[in-house]
Amino acid sequence: MRILLVEDESKTADYLARGLGEVGYRVEVARDGLDGRHLIEEADFDLVILDVMLPGLDGWELLRLIRRNGQVPVLFLTARDAVEYRVKGLELGADDYLVKPFSFVELLARVRTLLRRGPLRERECFQVAELHMNVLKRRVTRGETRLALTNKEFALLQLLLEREGEVLSRTLIASEVWGMNFDSDTNVVEVAVRRLRAKVDDPFTRRLIHTERGMGYVLEDRG
Amino acid sequence: MRAPASLSMRLSLLFALVSLVLLGGLGAYLYHALGQQIAWRDDQMLQGRLERMEALLDDGESIAALRRRPLLYANMLGNRESLLWMLDAHGVPLIEVNPPGLPVPELPPAPEGRLGAHPAAESTRLAWRTLEHDGRRLTLVAGKTLDERERMLAAYRLRLWLAMGAGAVLACGLGWVVVRRGLRPVRRLAARARTIDVAHLHRRLEANDETTELRELSRALNQMLARLEEGFAQLSRFSEDLAHEMRTPLGNLLGATQQALQRERTREEYRQLLGSHVEEYERLSRMIETMLFLARTEQPSRALPRETVDLQGLADQLCDYFEGMADEDGRELMSDMQGRVRANLDLLRRALANLIDNALRHGRSGTEIHLVSRRDAGDWHLGVINHGEPIPDAERARLFERFYRGDPARSQSVGTGGLGLAIVRSVAQLHGGEAWCESDAAVNAFWLSLPTGDDDRVDRCPGRGQR
Repeated sequence: MRILLVEDESKTADYLARGLGEVGYRVEVARDGLDGRHLIEEADFDLVILDVMLPGLDGWELLRLIRRNGQVPVLFLTARDAVEYRVKGLELGADDYLVKPFSFVELLARVRTLLRRGPLRERECFQVAELHMNVLKRRVTRGETRLALTNKEFALLQLLLEREGEVLSRTLIASEVWGMNFDSDTNVVEVAVRRLRAKVDDPFTRRLIHTERGMGYVLEDRG
Repeated sequence: MRAPASLSMRLSLLFALVSLVLLGGLGAYLYHALGQQIAWRDDQMLQGRLERMEALLDDGESIAALRRRPLLYANMLGNRESLLWMLDAHGVPLIEVNPPGLPVPELPPAPEGRLGAHPAAESTRLAWRTLEHDGRRLTLVAGKTLDERERMLAAYRLRLWLAMGAGAVLACGLGWVVVRRGLRPVRRLAARARTIDVAHLHRRLEANDETTELRELSRALNQMLARLEEGFAQLSRFSEDLAHEMRTPLGNLLGATQQALQRERTREEYRQLLGSHVEEYERLSRMIETMLFLARTEQPSRALPRETVDLQGLADQLCDYFEGMADEDGRELMSDMQGRVRANLDLLRRALANLIDNALRHGRSGTEIHLVSRRDAGDWHLGVINHGEPIPDAERARLFERFYRGDPARSQSVGTGGLGLAIVRSVAQLHGGEAWCESDAAVNAFWLSLPTGDDDRVDRCPGRGQR
């Protein structure tokens, strides 16, 4: 998967390129708008991450150019979160936007979503280690034990299973499970994960739900 | 034309203008009255002369005798402005005293005596009369040229103009002096106002010894100063609080990093450190984001996209969200919200979430939290009611200020602490409403109001409010 990153702030560009490279993407960096245009015209990319404020040629112009030539997904990075900016970006054909400062986990999650071709396949069954979920029957078992989960606990576990191995930020969880689209100070998500853990992990020896400090939560079998 | 810049100049010019109009009117009236008076006197004199001529004829003097005694008329007339004709039926003068040498006037018969201008010379006034004498028809004409009168009136006019001009100049000058004197309190007010600056915002204008108007002005300015002082104090408090709030996470970051750098650490310790750092960064980031949000909501010019919000649905979503947290503390969320309001859903949800969060933080364990809505005189009041310690009056007024915290000891436990209720107030104000708190021994209620003045109208035309 090739990603073009157009970003003039060198520290930001460096850590993003390094981070995306570490999870397996091939990243090319353009330090200004003209460079970006050159690369877009030269090569094919699977995703473009675009800063709005750029020297030479701004993000809006680049986006117009990209949209003239094809349907490559574009993720906007903007330092301004005024509604007009978001709307303008989306109207010009951006697929998603992130407001600076953003968390890297958040960016990674969005990049994965954009690169996942087509809609997420609805799965009926999940299996991680001896944890088993049947979505249609709304049944969760671990080994021989049937787990009694509330609706929200079930939704949370389903989200973690769907994105098995991915670190999910608190914001993403709050948004996906409760439809709350703002960063708040409350530790609702922590509490919910703790309660889910009490049912899914605590009675058993092997832990499946892990906390990545400062990043979020991930469900995986670490053996 | 631009009005003069100085108030004194403007007032004295107006003063002069008013004097000019008054003096001019008075002068014109007097001039006119004098002219009429003189004309009336002249007419009387001419008529008198006719009567004397008639009397001479009646005394039996023959015309021939009269013609032989021209000195009689000369004495009688005695100047070069008077005219006298005695004309026969054909208009031929029998007697003529005519120093200016005017032509013999042709006049219509007038048995009763008439007054008028000389048909050939406008500036000559005539009185004439026709009568029968010894069977002959005679016309007696007495006249007077008006040159002298005109000269006199012209001199009088000149004097009037001069007097008026002098009066206007004098009025302007006096007006200037009077106005300068009268405006002295304004200058004193200005001088006192000059002494008030940022460092002396507590100073006030003295409002006791001035005129009524200035007293009102001083009072209004003093009220403005009081508001400014309060706003300024609030701003300084806010800056202090902000610095303090930013200093805490920065101090943690700095201290923890320096402590970790003292010697080599294990990978796990570095991971722990970085993880803890991320939490602090997130805290700072959220704080800045919230500050931006508050700053933005304080620009009331921005158009707020609104939609119809179903309160029951919103309350259910929020209860759902906070259920776990409430349950941990042995508390229960009860929703009694109903109805539909026009509001910005995201902002309203955020405000209510902050209220519930506040209730969970500060309420008593094991009690209930009620979400209620009620319609009050057209406004919607949305409230979150919880059981907790009563909040003192002084504190209640400041609860919605940024960074304000009732209990300083709690400050470490909260992320961007003290901004939650400020957001609630901002959201309410953005919708044109208010946020406030009621407290008694049993419960604390936090309210926000949403005015719905033109709601019904909006509902009827769905195009509106979706800008």
